Amino acid sequence: MILTYTVLGVLWLALIAYAALGGADFGGGIWDLLATGPLAERQRRLVGQALGPVWETNHVWLIFLIVGLFVAFPLAFSVLSTALFLPFTLALIGIVLRGSAFTFRAYAAQAVGTRKVWGRVFSSASTITPFLLGTCAAAVASGEIHVVGGSVQTLIWTGWTTPFALTIGAVALALCATLAAIYLTIEARAINDTELTEAFRLRAIVAGAITAVLGALGILLSPFEAPLLWNGMLAHAIPVVILTMLVGLGAAASLLRRRYRLARVLVVIETGCFFAAWGVSQLPYLIPPHVTVENSVSPAITLEEFLICVAAGMILLLPSLWFLFHVFKGRNPVPLIEEK
Amino acid sequence: MTDLLAARAQMGTSLAFHIIFSVLGVGLPLLLCVAEGFALRNKDAVLMALTRRWTKAFAVLFAIGAVSGTVISFELGLLWPTYTKYSGAIIGIPFALEGFAFFLEAIFLGLYLYGWNRLTPRVHWLCSFPVWISGAASAWFIVSANSWMNTPTGFEIHNGQVTNINPFQAMLNPSTPYETTHMILACYVVTGFAVAAVYAVAMLRGKRGEYYRRGLLLGMAMGAIAIPLQIFSGDLNARFLVDAQPAKLAAMEGVIHTERGAPLRIGGLVDPTTGEVKYALEIPNGLSILAKGDPNATIKGLDSMPRDDWPNVALVHPSFDGMVGSGFYMLFIGLVFWVVYFWRKRVVPENRVLLWGVVLTGPLSFLALELGWMVTELGRQPWVIYNFLRTKDAVTTAPGLNYSFLGFSALYVVLAVTLIILLLRLAREPLPKMEWSEVNQEQMSEAEEKGGEK
Repeated sequence: MILTYTVLGVLWLALIAYAALGGADFGGGIWDLLATGPLAERQRRLVGQALGPVWETNHVWLIFLIVGLFVAFPLAFSVLSTALFLPFTLALIGIVLRGSAFTFRAYAAQAVGTRKVWGRVFSSASTITPFLLGTCAAAVASGEIHVVGGSVQTLIWTGWTTPFALTIGAVALALCATLAAIYLTIEARAINDTELTEAFRLRAIVAGAITAVLGALGILLSPFEAPLLWNGMLAHAIPVVILTMLVGLGAAASLLRRRYRLARVLVVIETGCFFAAWGVSQLPYLIPPHVTVENSVSPAITLEEFLICVAAGMILLLPSLWFLFHVFKGRNPVPLIEEK
Repeated sequence: MTDLLAARAQMGTSLAFHIIFSVLGVGLPLLLCVAEGFALRNKDAVLMALTRRWTKAFAVLFAIGAVSGTVISFELGLLWPTYTKYSGAIIGIPFALEGFAFFLEAIFLGLYLYGWNRLTPRVHWLCSFPVWISGAASAWFIVSANSWMNTPTGFEIHNGQVTNINPFQAMLNPSTPYETTHMILACYVVTGFAVAAVYAVAMLRGKRGEYYRRGLLLGMAMGAIAIPLQIFSGDLNARFLVDAQPAKLAAMEGVIHTERGAPLRIGGLVDPTTGEVKYALEIPNGLSILAKGDPNATIKGLDSMPRDDWPNVALVHPSFDGMVGSGFYMLFIGLVFWVVYFWRKRVVPENRVLLWGVVLTGPLSFLALELGWMVTELGRQPWVIYNFLRTKDAVTTAPGLNYSFLGFSALYVVLAVTLIILLLRLAREPLPKMEWSEVNQEQMSEAEEKGGEK
């Protein structure tokens, strides 16, 4: 029991890390797509510089999440892959295009045409992918994925094309955009670009407000479209939901007061609370209404060895992550040598 | 296509695409580490220029490797949900460990690519170590999972239920030492000869100078050191298969009928219905000697196994011979190259025939890599988990697999074409002036450019 929930907690933290870090990278692409006006090129450039050193690392959280699910909840992985075959496949194509396009664009050097085309691919894929992943999450939460006698009973459109799922897809999109805008505010300030700082501050506030409205809409839809989630939330997740809202308000307030670093911390906590609220509402189901945490979990020995590996891996991973973010994103990022 | 065939085609295409980038992801960082190390120690501008050029190429290759690897981790579930359901608890752990190795590789690569101007030269160089070490580690982990599919251990089956699971034992299954060694060496073989081939092409096109000679030498050094070890490791693999996977060995060597004193058949077309191997070059008793060290030893043929359990021998045998043939060709060229080099008192050979020979090692090394995986994967069929789960029972019930296969294939074609254009363009960029200060300056402006659209 404790073992199972420890592993589940580890995976949920990985999900939050992917949302807060990888999600922001998608958000960067969204702002690239929406960049217009005289600031557009500077915006795009800032997004590119912000993502460059870290996007591949941030992307690995997704892989960790997938393989973690494969190790610890193989039945859930198998059911999800079958039920959500189409949106997963499309999201996967989006992931491939986003990553390759970003790199192609960055290394296309003087080839302006190539750079433009792949720049568009990068920004479109960055927008479509989180939306699709959001609809997949909603399909899980809505309890539409039925498993009878070991076989998945869904059609190819089931679950992820409902109004609720589309709303949650939009929430995911707005959340990515909010995260990215807040991080980019700090990146812009670090290069002393006041115009860009203000531009992203405004975008962060707007995107944050849209996230809140869409999130509320999702909650309003859930009694009809995701009753298990709704009842679970009423039963044991109300405090976390309230906490999410309060932290979100805090993030908005700190943006208004131009306390960007505080806003960054708060929006990460808000993202964490948001996913925690979803997880807690859904318990004891992993994929309602048939796959529960208990009936899909691997045997204890697998979980134990997995945790040993995770602990050993983290000993190497955490200091390395710290070093990466310290060099490129810290309070005093290591300056360019020529500036020293 | 049937769903099974479409799923296998998609998985095979994805693996064949991904493996190109993963071997370079393991091999190139070691080359970078060596080149940058010597460049810093000797303030060698030429080596530093090479390092920086390779770094740019590697950045693009690694990104494609990262995303194409993601496809494969999803495809395990998307295409083979029954496989994942049963195997996750047993063999998921090496995938998770590979995740950590990949994390470290991505982190230090980020530092390496974007840290030229932020880190001191020594720290920058040190960042290449975790990249190549975790690259090799991730190859080890992921191949240990493939080994398990060939020689599954670490679990028991009672009444259709998987019990007595032991994941570490599954990871350290009997094939692991053989397969992992062979794959990691393959990474260095391919990287070495691919790099050498690039500079051989340049020299054939009339480019001369230290830059090209050093590039050629470094590539040939890595390839020529790795290839004899690789052939030795291949021999161990084959001998291991005699008992571990007799069907695979029989398919590789084209043995349909069980024979005493089996000949080694090189090439030829296998006809599985009659058991004949036409047009093959036969070395009498060769296979018995190679496999068991006894000219009269008995080699199990496919006819000793149920027809349903046969791999596609008509494909496996030529794939195997193609791999081995390419391997010996690389060994030959490596040997000739270095003998000539030392004979001429350390002058890089510029003989056109030899350079053409080197050029050919590039594509042949990739061919050997792909054929080697064909042997492993096709040789395991019809099983996905050898003797436990058939591939046809593991495939998904999701509809539209044909479209999925077509979609991913088209995607890979687009990526490959773009990548080739970019790499060629990169190769044509003018070289910096080979002076230490110039070469060091070069990167300063580039780091600024990488931001994106200007």
